Amino acid sequence: MKLPKSWSEIDVLQFKEIRELYSIEEVFAREIEILSALAGVSSDELEDLDVSEVSNMLNDITFINSEPSKNYKRDIEQWKVKPLSKLTCGEFIDLEYFFANDYIKHLCHIASIMYRQHTTNEWGQLSFEPYEFNPFDRHELFDEYCINDIYGIIPEYLSFRQDFMDKYHLLFNEEDGDEEDDNKPMTSDESKAQAEQKSAVKWGWERLLYSLCNEDLTKFKQVTDLPLILTFNMLSMKKELNL
Amino acid sequence: MVKILDKEIPNQLKELTVQQFEDITSIHAQQDLDAIEKHLKVFELFGITENDFEHTTIEQFKTYVKDFNNIKGKPELQSTIELDGYKYTAFEGEEFKLSVRDTKHIEKVMNSRHKGYISEMLAILFKRDDLSKSEHYDTTHIKHKSKMIRELKSELAVPYLVEIGQKLSKEIKRNEAPEIVE
Repeated sequence: MKLPKSWSEIDVLQFKEIRELYSIEEVFAREIEILSALAGVSSDELEDLDVSEVSNMLNDITFINSEPSKNYKRDIEQWKVKPLSKLTCGEFIDLEYFFANDYIKHLCHIASIMYRQHTTNEWGQLSFEPYEFNPFDRHELFDEYCINDIYGIIPEYLSFRQDFMDKYHLLFNEEDGDEEDDNKPMTSDESKAQAEQKSAVKWGWERLLYSLCNEDLTKFKQVTDLPLILTFNMLSMKKELNL
Repeated sequence: MVKILDKEIPNQLKELTVQQFEDITSIHAQQDLDAIEKHLKVFELFGITENDFEHTTIEQFKTYVKDFNNIKGKPELQSTIELDGYKYTAFEGEEFKLSVRDTKHIEKVMNSRHKGYISEMLAILFKRDDLSKSEHYDTTHIKHKSKMIRELKSELAVPYLVEIGQKLSKEIKRNEAPEIVE
């Protein structure tokens, strides 16, 4: 039975499969499923073995308890990582969606936004393909890359996101509500306000975009194509000057 | 047997049934009880109530507990048992081997932490010679068998508990998916 010795032998699809297996509550059962996924054999085959035989194999795959490399490749075949400082509003909103909804499961969707085709224009400047594709149509293109080549985009984005949230915290921290008061009885006005707040959170990005395009949906694309930093600088200015 | 107040109660592994052993284990696992409450509940299992100890000093009570816990001998692993005319085998040969399949089932039973987990664990290990794998691991079959095993003496269960505990603690290393550190 041939087992991989490090993350460098694991592709993105296998990595996601392994991470999904961490939802199995029983430690031993989970280890067997992981072993079976890595060895490419059915868990049924492993189940006839003695625990001590399997234990030796498990010792060979302890690398799975560590993270893959964070030194991702900036260039892979036709793809190049678009600098995060150049993200557009639309790209940022989609990345936020994927990060908020299990970023390991959506690793390839995230990669499809961050890794882009590119060209050099007549002025010798690097130009990235526009965000005119759907990550759900492109994510499979990243399944077979080595996990070490792209995993690092996750911590990189999370770090960027943290800095971004800190910088524009006034735009993000709108009445968070006190969790301790959750069980206290509310007046009808309070519950109405809470319902409105929940609704505002649910439609947060849509509401923002709607207001940015002055309630004119035909301008939606123009707004999502705006540079993220420029947009948030303008929003900060509007908020500070009460415009 | 041990004499507590004027009553003889079972305390040795060859005297206690698996069910009684499970009941005792379950009482000791109750974290909301202090040590004295646990022992009172254990004695209650054998018909000695808290009221019966009304005139017992704490020193005398401690002696009763010590006597009850004084287990003699170390039972050996029994590789086969007979139930209802059928032979059940836990392992072949001299050495006890634990299969991956059994371990997975046992781990599930142990995680459920229900009162009858010891008899269920034994029901997984002891296999009727004439049954197929799927029949053996069938939930209804396991439940039925563990019900019969509960009536057997706990000297059958304890060596397996020790052996499995040792194997699992040696073989299984807890692993958690690493969190991303930015």
